[in-house]
Amino acid sequence: MRLISRKTLLLFFLPGAVFMGAFLIYPIITMVFDSFYEIGITGDKTFIGLENYIHAFTAGGFLKQLKNTLIYIVVAVGIETVMGLLFALFFELDYKGSKIIRSFMMAPLMIAPLVAGLTWKLMMSSSFGIVNELLTRVGILSSSADILWLADEKWSLLACCIADIWLTTPFMMLMILAGLQGLDSSMIEAAKIDGANMLQQVFTIKLPVIKPVLLTALSVRIIDAARTFDIIWAMTEGGPNSSSETISIIIYKTLARYNNIGYASAMAVVFIAVLVIFTLVFMQSLWNPKKKSS
Amino acid sequence: MKKKGEIGKKLGIILSVILTVFWLFPYIYVICCSFKPGSEVIAVPPSFFPKVFSVENFSDLLGRMDALKFLMNSLTVSLVSTVIALILGSLAAYAIQRSGAKLSIVLVVLVLCLKMIPTSSIVVPIYELICNLGLYDTKIALIIVYAAINMPFVMWTMLSFYEGIPTTLDEAAFVDGASSLQTFRKVILPICKPGLATAFIFTLFLAWNDFLVALLLTSTNAKTFTVGLAGFLSAYNLDLGPMCAGAFLFSFPVMIISLAAQKYIVQGMTAGAVKG
Repeated sequence: MRLISRKTLLLFFLPGAVFMGAFLIYPIITMVFDSFYEIGITGDKTFIGLENYIHAFTAGGFLKQLKNTLIYIVVAVGIETVMGLLFALFFELDYKGSKIIRSFMMAPLMIAPLVAGLTWKLMMSSSFGIVNELLTRVGILSSSADILWLADEKWSLLACCIADIWLTTPFMMLMILAGLQGLDSSMIEAAKIDGANMLQQVFTIKLPVIKPVLLTALSVRIIDAARTFDIIWAMTEGGPNSSSETISIIIYKTLARYNNIGYASAMAVVFIAVLVIFTLVFMQSLWNPKKKSS
Repeated sequence: MKKKGEIGKKLGIILSVILTVFWLFPYIYVICCSFKPGSEVIAVPPSFFPKVFSVENFSDLLGRMDALKFLMNSLTVSLVSTVIALILGSLAAYAIQRSGAKLSIVLVVLVLCLKMIPTSSIVVPIYELICNLGLYDTKIALIIVYAAINMPFVMWTMLSFYEGIPTTLDEAAFVDGASSLQTFRKVILPICKPGLATAFIFTLFLAWNDFLVALLLTSTNAKTFTVGLAGFLSAYNLDLGPMCAGAFLFSFPVMIISLAAQKYIVQGMTAGAVKG
């Protein structure tokens, strides 16, 4: 029995589609057009073909930002995944009060990325920041001016990664814990009887069970890390000397500060295309609509 | 052997408690800072706990920006936009999930792709559109834009919830002569309350936490709290105290709601991930 006719489907989808069409699809179409033009501050347009795209991929384009974005993704998501996994193994334990501890661990999860950025900016300040103060007291740094987290080109991107890791490791942990719930405890018991140690249990039983969840979590996180804006903006605004500038930041700066709409559109089109292709490829391997309906 | 397991467990408990405290450290630090006098926040060397308890930062915050108005703006805008996104999104998702048409698969993929679009790259065309509509710096602008950009998320979450509801319910309603809209409103929605709650809380936080859209679309009237808070970025160190107070004020309700409604948040995060 067909519950929803094609007409009803369109009718129900339409109101939402009006919103999404106006503020998601229309902007993208506008940008695709704009990307072929050089647009002056007064709004005068000159058709320049693919020049904006060529500019993006040559020296002085967004290659540096592309590299920064990739580093950001690899460092932040990589560490988040490893830590999330370790945390999940600890927090999986059931004891009196374990739920409360777990809740507290997850409490920062929904804090605004902007607030997370501001918090870490305060903590990583060179003179009155608590991070360097603690590192000095422990003896890792000889003085609190040794690492200028936000003002040194070497550290600025890493500093942003740290804030990201703080904000989203609980998410990774949560996803992995959810995946572990699907684990049949008799498998662990059987493994224990066979004399498997903790590591063997983790690698041969737990990891395969959570693999689908882990992959989904990874895809979500990779995309979110790729488009991070608030954290980096709050901490460094992409500086110093664009050392922590990612693609999101350079697109925004090109648009809002340098007013170069054509060029920014070209970068945005490339960026969106890459994210969409990534999503589709990833989802295809994980999720098959036909399999589901059967 | 049992004893060894016991020790391991105790160790695990202790470690998880330590981890939690360690992880909450930055947030506790902000809370501590917001109750220090302004000068102590930027004292060298910094201290963790306030030496003197003070609400100076909060009064400074109120003096520097219209904090209550911005908070109200944030609240109004995120509530109204969430309700719109929830109503329209859940309706559309229902039709997509229950229709067997090929078109529905296309729409699912479309929704997923729209969910992935980075806001930072589409805000300027949105800005131009809003200006052309004459809605710049109005709450209506923020409401419709948030409703639009959060709608794919609502749809995605609801899709996985509808999946868990047997179609026999719809069929029974259909046999009884209910229209699709009646089935949706009277049969499906009441069962979906947990799903709706999840989507509601999440979308509310997405809108509440947003910074970029509000940064571009507002200037004075409709300014939200995040934009006000970011105003401290360009300011000098002296303002870090009020900034902490603002960050605390803004995120405390979020923390409380997160703790109270954790069940729904966990469901929202893992929606579609565990089942898929």
